[in-house]
Amino acid sequence: MNKGIWFIVVGVVLLLIGSYLGLFVAPAEQYMGEVQRIMYVHVPTAWNWMLAVIFTFVAAIAFLFNNDYKWDARVEAGLEVSALLATLLCVQGAVWAKPTWGVWWDWDPRLTSVAVLLFATLGIIALRQFVDDPRRRAIWSSVATIIASVDLPIVYYSVKWWNSLHQQQSTPETVSSQFHVPLRINAFAVLFLMIGFIMLRSEIARRQLANESADGWNTREAGELA
Amino acid sequence: MSGVVVGGWEYVWAAYGITGAAFAIYITSLIVRLRGARKS
Repeated sequence: MNKGIWFIVVGVVLLLIGSYLGLFVAPAEQYMGEVQRIMYVHVPTAWNWMLAVIFTFVAAIAFLFNNDYKWDARVEAGLEVSALLATLLCVQGAVWAKPTWGVWWDWDPRLTSVAVLLFATLGIIALRQFVDDPRRRAIWSSVATIIASVDLPIVYYSVKWWNSLHQQQSTPETVSSQFHVPLRINAFAVLFLMIGFIMLRSEIARRQLANESADGWNTREAGELA
Repeated sequence: MSGVVVGGWEYVWAAYGITGAAFAIYITSLIVRLRGARKS
């Protein structure tokens, strides 16, 4: 059995505990009231999306240096999980924005830079679908991933560099101590889920590469993948 | 205008519901695709 399953099981259990505490135990925030409880899923999603983007960036560099297709499988997994978390991040943010900002979406620097990276990620996933040659697909998507990752520091610092409608980063240092426990539990929950997702998705990608190898591609390079 | 958001539980439930549904659908999709990849 893929060990990723156990990470997902632990992640789900932690998410249930953290969400219960966030919904029913933690106090409402002074100004945002009950809607601030969205923070307990939104902020962990944001942190772990950033980690997923960094993982994909590292995997892309590792592939270009090592020419090892296990890293290409990890790039494919990282891209898909990054796209999932970024989409979720935007939707959660929109649901939080409506009652607090009065709009579902605003083209402010933080939201725009996240949207740019989300569409870049989706573009790279589409690129991988359209390129049949595994070598070109791996090289092109690794290079595109590295270029797209330049946007991540812009996302992170956008709320400091520009006059953003989005609040400053929410960390245990910037939020009340009463909110720490559910925030931290859900942060680990989404971390475990993200690791489990990447492990399972990497195995799928490795097996697909091995099948391509069986179909006549360079068997020496992909023979040990599955 | 007090500057304080009143109510809003429907937004909270929507955010948690969407998050849970997205993770559940993705986990299902991974398991289905993994089984398919192992068979082929």
